[in-house]
Amino acid sequence: MEEMKGVAPDLGKRRFVVACVALSGLAGTSLGPVLFRTGRAWAQADSALDPAAREAMVRMARLLYPHDAVVDDVYGEVLDQALASTADDPTLRHYLAQAHAALDGVQQAAFMDLDEEVQISAMQAIEDMDFFRAIQGAVRSSLYRHPRVWEHLGYDGPSFAQGGFLNRGAGDIDWLEDAG
Amino acid sequence: MARTYELHDPSAVVVIGSGAGGGTLANELAQKGIDVICLEAGGRLTLADIENDPDLMDERMGWNDPRMGAPVWLCKTVGGTTMRWSGITPRFQAHEFSARTTYGLLDDTTLIDWPLTLEELGPYYDQAEDRMGVTGTHGIPPSFETSNYKVLRAGGEKIGYTEITSERTAINPVARDGRPGCLQIGFCHSGCKIAAKWSTLYTEITRAEQTEHFELRPNSMALQINHDDNGRITGVVYADESGRLHEQKARAVAVAGNVIETTRLLLNSASNRFPDGMGNASGHLGRNYMRHVTSIIRATMPGPVNFHRATRQSGLIMDEQYHKPERGFAGGYFIETAGTYPAAVAAGLREWGRPAAEYMENFNRLAGVFITGEDPPQAANRIALHPSERDDYGLAVPIIEYALHPNSVAMQEHSIRQTTALYESIGGTDVRASRGVGRACHNIGTARMSSNPEEGVTNRWGQVHEVPNLFVSDGGLFTSSAAANPTLTIVALAIRQADHIAERMSRREL
Repeated sequence: MEEMKGVAPDLGKRRFVVACVALSGLAGTSLGPVLFRTGRAWAQADSALDPAAREAMVRMARLLYPHDAVVDDVYGEVLDQALASTADDPTLRHYLAQAHAALDGVQQAAFMDLDEEVQISAMQAIEDMDFFRAIQGAVRSSLYRHPRVWEHLGYDGPSFAQGGFLNRGAGDIDWLEDAG
Repeated sequence: MARTYELHDPSAVVVIGSGAGGGTLANELAQKGIDVICLEAGGRLTLADIENDPDLMDERMGWNDPRMGAPVWLCKTVGGTTMRWSGITPRFQAHEFSARTTYGLLDDTTLIDWPLTLEELGPYYDQAEDRMGVTGTHGIPPSFETSNYKVLRAGGEKIGYTEITSERTAINPVARDGRPGCLQIGFCHSGCKIAAKWSTLYTEITRAEQTEHFELRPNSMALQINHDDNGRITGVVYADESGRLHEQKARAVAVAGNVIETTRLLLNSASNRFPDGMGNASGHLGRNYMRHVTSIIRATMPGPVNFHRATRQSGLIMDEQYHKPERGFAGGYFIETAGTYPAAVAAGLREWGRPAAEYMENFNRLAGVFITGEDPPQAANRIALHPSERDDYGLAVPIIEYALHPNSVAMQEHSIRQTTALYESIGGTDVRASRGVGRACHNIGTARMSSNPEEGVTNRWGQVHEVPNLFVSDGGLFTSSAAANPTLTIVALAIRQADHIAERMSRREL
């Protein structure tokens, strides 16, 4: 009964979106969050994107949420995971192909050949498109569930096997005395 | 010890749902020697099935059947949403039971007073707190002071709050009642791996099973309630795990499906005698749906907080719970600590690029709260049946229609201003708040108690006005939402309802 409390805002969103879509009769425009498990091996799935598209989309994933200390391999895994978890739904693959074509089209040049600033402007030019928002959501959902990203952010993940945090830092705070 | 009952045996009370309301009512009745069958739509997990994985646990215990409209957060598992709740347990205040008298009739609301008082519910609150192990009551120490709570307290004191407490949580701080003390695992919403948090799965349900008067039937989805020519309930039709239908005869029925499913079952049980749904003579069934004013508010603090290294919720500020109309709204709210994990924070990001990544880079410096405040009843906020969409059982799926009342918007904005000031007073920056209708909610109303049968669905005992042996036993009973998190009050009302049912049975009225 409780919250509800700040359940991961992701959870339930897909069903909500799907429900709204069903009500409004607009099928096929929703792409829910891409969920994967922390305890499950990262998918080694064939992303089924051609190498050029995959390279461009990995780049786009990085520019969406650029963590300099996180290596490209992680962004690639995030993309593969997003594709693997929607394997029975071609929508994401379709969106990625659309995005690749659109990004190449904005500057009339291959996205991968552009400077970072120009790449970002190309993304800004298409950021209101459905396919862009869908890819953004999928990348965000997968990226911040990746153990390497957790490590980088200082998030410890599952704690039961270590006995919780009771004797491992729960309640620790060292700056509060000086605050305000 | 637990026994079994034949389908044609009409001697037992059938309780639908095994969460805070249903699980508690079932155990109370069984302890009194009254036979009870508890139908639970979901399966039964053990502690071994509980993992520190929100996505996985949502699949294992979330209620993910088709549903339309505003998002809700139910569980389909033995224990119901007590598996997922945070454990915050303040009592309601006296004036909240007379909301209509205290606040006046706010525009476009259907506010009425409760048909009972705080004084009357007081002894049941006391029992509920003991049963659930609420910190700060019955000699139970306060909850562990988490870093997120220490930040809340420091900021709260700075801006003048005086009622800041790490009490009022139904999570054992130390071993009690056969359950261990909290290890600060986090992941409270994924089920408590060690059973330190109160859930009916391993308290009320297991206690009931130790009597000779209780049968739990998991994977049993109630589809329809049947009645005789006199309008008395005779049984419940349910589907078992394989989809086969059965009718369990019943002496009385109590419905506790966390409001959404309670309402749907009663509406889907329409008949010639109850053409608009069972218990809907007043037209109020499904209406007056409330879900509390909520907001999730987080700030980036000057140093590490690591709010994930702790119980999700472990303390609250109570200063704003009162009715102080000079703030520009009726009723009050609580500011409650709330931690979470990176994907949940990221899901709230609107922007992308460098600013988004930099915000996430400071994950371990985030402090956060969840607001819970009074939400007035409105007739248009309701649970209804979809005219054509059907679920796998062939039942009409529910539609959840909900919009915030202006009073709720004003309260939400006030809570955001106060919390922003609180965090900024101790160096917090970039305070971000969710507005509007949150994905997290408390389900309240739709079968509200009323003195006048024309103004509500149930009487002061939670009995459906027009059906002598049909009860509602969840948050649907609440006449108004009050400010406090609802679970403690659901449990107190269920204990009180069990006394009432037992008394009527002893008088041979049931």
